Amino acid sequence: MFKSIMIFIFFSLGSVGAYAKIDLVTLPIRDQVQLTIYNPADLTLVREQRTLTLKPGINRLELSWAETLIDPTSVYLEAPQHKGQVNLLEVSYLPHVKESAIWVIESQVSGEVLVEISFFTSGITWNAFYMATLSTDEQSLHLQNEVRINNQSGEDYLNAKTRVIVGKIHLLDEIAQLAKQNPPYGMPIEPFPFTDGNGTLTPRLEEEIKEKSVRSIFTDSVGVAPKQIIKEGLSEYFIYTIEGTESIPNGWGKRLPALDKIDIPVQVLYRYDEQRYGTETQQLLFFKNDQEHHLGETPLPDGQVIVYRQLAENQHLSYVGQLQTQYIPVGQEVEFNLGTAKPVKVEPILMDYKTENYLFDYQGQISGFDRIQEWQLKLTNNRDIPVEIEIFRQIEHPYWNVTYAPDLAVHYEKIDLDTIKYRLTLPPHTKEYLLPYTLTLFEGERQSKKTLIKGMAQ
Amino acid sequence: MKLVISISYIIFSLLFLFAQSSWARVKLVALPEREATVVRLDNPMAILLEEERHLTLQKGINQVDFSWKGVEIIPDSVRLTVLEPIDSVTVLNVSYPPNEQALIWQIVSQNGQQVKVRISYLLKQIDRLITYKAIVNKEETVLDLTAFVVLRNFSGENLPLTRFQLDYGETLASKLANGETKRISFFTANQLPIKKYFTFDAAQLPWDPKQISDNVSIPVHYELDNTPENGLGKQVLWDGKVRLYAEDGHGNHLFLGEDYAQFTPIGQPLKLMIGDSRDVVITQRKISENRVNERRDKQRTQVILYDLEAAMQVDMENFKDQPAWVRLKEPMPEEWEMKTSSHPYKREHNQEIIFDITVPAKEKVIVTYDYVQRNMRP
Repeated sequence: MFKSIMIFIFFSLGSVGAYAKIDLVTLPIRDQVQLTIYNPADLTLVREQRTLTLKPGINRLELSWAETLIDPTSVYLEAPQHKGQVNLLEVSYLPHVKESAIWVIESQVSGEVLVEISFFTSGITWNAFYMATLSTDEQSLHLQNEVRINNQSGEDYLNAKTRVIVGKIHLLDEIAQLAKQNPPYGMPIEPFPFTDGNGTLTPRLEEEIKEKSVRSIFTDSVGVAPKQIIKEGLSEYFIYTIEGTESIPNGWGKRLPALDKIDIPVQVLYRYDEQRYGTETQQLLFFKNDQEHHLGETPLPDGQVIVYRQLAENQHLSYVGQLQTQYIPVGQEVEFNLGTAKPVKVEPILMDYKTENYLFDYQGQISGFDRIQEWQLKLTNNRDIPVEIEIFRQIEHPYWNVTYAPDLAVHYEKIDLDTIKYRLTLPPHTKEYLLPYTLTLFEGERQSKKTLIKGMAQ
Repeated sequence: MKLVISISYIIFSLLFLFAQSSWARVKLVALPEREATVVRLDNPMAILLEEERHLTLQKGINQVDFSWKGVEIIPDSVRLTVLEPIDSVTVLNVSYPPNEQALIWQIVSQNGQQVKVRISYLLKQIDRLITYKAIVNKEETVLDLTAFVVLRNFSGENLPLTRFQLDYGETLASKLANGETKRISFFTANQLPIKKYFTFDAAQLPWDPKQISDNVSIPVHYELDNTPENGLGKQVLWDGKVRLYAEDGHGNHLFLGEDYAQFTPIGQPLKLMIGDSRDVVITQRKISENRVNERRDKQRTQVILYDLEAAMQVDMENFKDQPAWVRLKEPMPEEWEMKTSSHPYKREHNQEIIFDITVPAKEKVIVTYDYVQRNMRP
């Protein structure tokens, strides 16, 4: 069972240098264990409860963690029911002894004491996975989210209270590296070279944990309602606590449903933006992580999304695409990019080019002029439903002006210094919709005259 | 691996008789026990070991051998100080025998006596790390701090019950065998008030989060002042790794992250980065740029100098349930002048300004500023 993390208590003779193990008092098993699993950092905080039998005064205890991926520098002990009365004074990693430490515990109480031991391990990971199903009319979405946990830590965790953490943690060292480091805190550092110095640092172990494919098992219980996941925020993190306990033996994975919402109103939008996507139109799906969209209880963790579309007949599905979603805070708009949309096309065509309004200096040299470009955006919608489309145009020139025919219904919106955006709806089966505009670029002296021109960029 | 000290006596008369002849060093039977060993850890650049011993000296010249086979002593650092009685003995010289990790002191004693000496030396392959464990309350307003010293001894010397002295506080008494690493807790300070900050550095982070595929993460840190009012301020906080935990309100802790605390003198703030926030979203844009105030050359043919007006807009959205204290760092050109700004700012240095903005929970704050970049040359 718990082959690896073992605790022995013994009293020391108090002899110099070595701690003689003379009296093995008890071998406590763990009463309870809690796993807090992070992502994407390979880090799990393990807190286990054990009952130790302590005598008043100094107690020595041995902890060993052979064949695990535990970071020995992260091990702490607390006695929640005897705060201030049971203290871990020292942790000692003896010479020539690997994967073992001696703890010196000072106790003011006698008898059985419940202690909590916490440490980090690597090798347990989790990730979020989404299944999204668009309704036939693309007006609503069925969104399912699952949490998947994999245990490659070398340790079996049976009946563990399990929590997974959504958030981006700041780590200085990888736990997997610390777990391999011997001695646990590394070797002393030579701050400046002495003549006969041979102080070398332990070479960093480059070996990575090989990712193994693991089988996935669903909740142990068959025919019982799926487990609830309790969600709450703390600091910059969101905690998903899985109801009850879970057993995750070493080498196993487990998938638990975390969210299942139907009829989420969504907006499908097509977007053309050469800077971001090149010349292909993208299909995007928008909804907000809020109550109006039957969401908003928790942030949505980043993870993989597979999107299907419900077909009208016999509940058949068609595959739309897959994507990696960002983390979405409560209240923020979700943007799923479903990828290239061939049926909706945007083609910017330069129809005419001329230069005008030349200015000359006192020596007769050209000091300014306007470059006038006549653009036509050729839009096509081959779908059988109307589509909403956004077109971004980068002007790449800070001094410009856009004009268009007065009867044109579509106006642009200025995004920043040199970016404009058009937004319009294309009816179904639009073979060709032309959106013309005139772009004037001001060169040289004409740049300072531009404030005189109406409709000018500021 | 042993440290041996031995004394040989040369009777004054013998020395007189055989002054011209070379004499062999005699290792003594008695091995003086060392007392009161102190390992000083106050300078992280090198560890100083001081030990006290009683030496029984004969009248005349005494030769005291000090050898350290297998121990990483820096030979030039070894010193001998006579503690008592002072002035009754004189160290004549120190010699280093060839191919030995040893030295010999020649000591003249006015009479046969027992003297108390202190031998000090620098040891290699032994050092100390400082690490901290900090637990913040659920509301992130106060923090409990425990400091640990980690002793790593690979010096070749076994240290039986020894006092370890940091630069402050009481000494820690412990044993430390060769090859042993030991973590000892040495102070705890509870309920230290902290403040949480978000920092958006516009020179480092992307301006438009929608343009990139991953979330833009805004670094978050806690600040606490190393002052007596805050329950600290008694000592310098040495640099070291800090692991931060938070109480989760259910009797458990959540690991928040770790950071390397910088050396923090008394009165200075300690900044501890915990991680990145994705619940504060910042979008920055340059809205316009205009050339103004053009000046020409004598022939009035060319613009030789102009100013550039720029308008900036920073949208700060807080999706959290608590207000966020955001420090907005904005890069500036070399020669500039602010025209208008929606919020007060402070000049960090010539090319950086800082806005300290509180963004209320679930709200959006828009910061705008217009500046002129002076005396540009085409």
